[in-house]
Amino acid sequence: MLLEVKDIWVRYGGAQVVKGVSLQVEEGSVVSLLGANGAGKSTTLRAITGLVKPYAGEIWFEGERIDGLAPAKIVARGIRHVLEGRGLFPYMTVLENLRVGAYLQKDRDKVEQTLKEVFEHFPRLKERKSQQARTLSGGEQQMLTIARALMGDPKLLLLDEPSLGLSPMMVKEIGKIIREIHARGLTVLLVEQNARLALGVSDTCYVLETGSVAACGLTKELMESDLVRKAYLGI
Amino acid sequence: MNLGGQDVVQAIINGLCMGGTYVLIGLGLTLILGIMNILQFAHGEVYMIGAFTVYFLCVLKGLNLYLAVFISMITTAIFGLIIERIFLRSLKGRFLLYVCVTTGLSLILQTAVMLIFSKGTKQLPSLWPGSFSLAGVYISRERVVAIVMALLLTLALQAFLKRTKYGLAMVASAQHYEGALMQGIDPNVMSAMVVAIGSGLAAVGGALGGSIFNLDPYMGGLAFMKGITLIVIGGLGSVPGAVAGGLILGIVESLLALFFGSQMGIILPLVLVIAFLIFRPRGLFGHD
Repeated sequence: MLLEVKDIWVRYGGAQVVKGVSLQVEEGSVVSLLGANGAGKSTTLRAITGLVKPYAGEIWFEGERIDGLAPAKIVARGIRHVLEGRGLFPYMTVLENLRVGAYLQKDRDKVEQTLKEVFEHFPRLKERKSQQARTLSGGEQQMLTIARALMGDPKLLLLDEPSLGLSPMMVKEIGKIIREIHARGLTVLLVEQNARLALGVSDTCYVLETGSVAACGLTKELMESDLVRKAYLGI
Repeated sequence: MNLGGQDVVQAIINGLCMGGTYVLIGLGLTLILGIMNILQFAHGEVYMIGAFTVYFLCVLKGLNLYLAVFISMITTAIFGLIIERIFLRSLKGRFLLYVCVTTGLSLILQTAVMLIFSKGTKQLPSLWPGSFSLAGVYISRERVVAIVMALLLTLALQAFLKRTKYGLAMVASAQHYEGALMQGIDPNVMSAMVVAIGSGLAAVGGALGGSIFNLDPYMGGLAFMKGITLIVIGGLGSVPGAVAGGLILGIVESLLALFFGSQMGIILPLVLVIAFLIFRPRGLFGHD
């Protein structure tokens, strides 16, 4: 198991946001985490990369415990987290954003090689490489934030609501990108409110409800369960 | 009073020179504020310590002035590292405590320097004695040297921020803290680096100021005020903003002093600050 979250509990101020979430992400898979606003999806991701500290439970990555480590240390182990709201550096150029994505990579040739690959995958970013990130469209910004994460050559990619605020066309494009990333052998943990997108790309699916796992299983089995479909997926 | 064009040109050169020392103290303040989200209240004293280190090395120990400035830049940067590690890092986010501790620190540093070097103003030797005449205007060489040194250091800093991995990481941390964390950037490394760089620059600023003007243990207070002023004018966290802010401030002060006397030269820039805060709070080059 690449990533294992074991019964984590997170409090924000006085509110219990995550109440005993457990999940497993197998190497090479795409796992989606679905649920309504405030179900604790983003917080679960933020706990994995150390942006919030769970007060109970454990998080294991590649057989080592990572909860309690500083975010930069967790990232250095090969996890990249595409934040909700993207977290771009707005007044830096596209190219500078990508270079910062390779901050941990010491081998310069490797950086140039990865940059070339990323530009092959995202030709639109190459066209705009000297533009400031804030001048990109929403879809392009989302591409940039994913591309920046890929610059770090991660083993596990956490995506937080990549479809947020995008046009249906662009959402489709993001789906395509996730499938391509998966095809290259990368493991993805995807948080989404857009169930159609999430189910379209994932093998395994967890449904969160008010901080706990309400349902989980293989995506195709969950899709066949009327109860789950009606109650949680809205399709 | 009869003022000729020569007086105005001279005032502008003096203004550029003062502005250069303001830029060197302001760069550190603005970058520390941008990256760590704190105002370094003891930064004026770092500037003063930098100047006294040069005094110690050059006047008391007889070292070459430029070598002394270089050594002071390095040792003051290390001093900045120590301040960051002991005070700034552990107090991040605890605003009231932070203000008390850094203000106290500046008083301690002032008193310590006064005890070590005894009271009274001191001066550093001239950077380059004498003056030359250009189109009928006499220009002192040391002021030109000061302007050039400030300019070169600023260009070096800008190149570092734009061209190197660590520089880009510092800029990134100022623009999106969590976004930077998620690229594996350690915020403690960034804050140590920014305080060290800012302190080294302030030391050179102190040395230039102390060479052209005077040296005393309380010189940091006024310099700190100038630093804050230029941040308001130029915009937070911006190197071009700090340069523009510093030079504008220096020239405006100097021209005002020429026309209305030195008191006005100190007061009117503060009016400029208020005007900026009301009409353009992000300054000339700052972001929204």
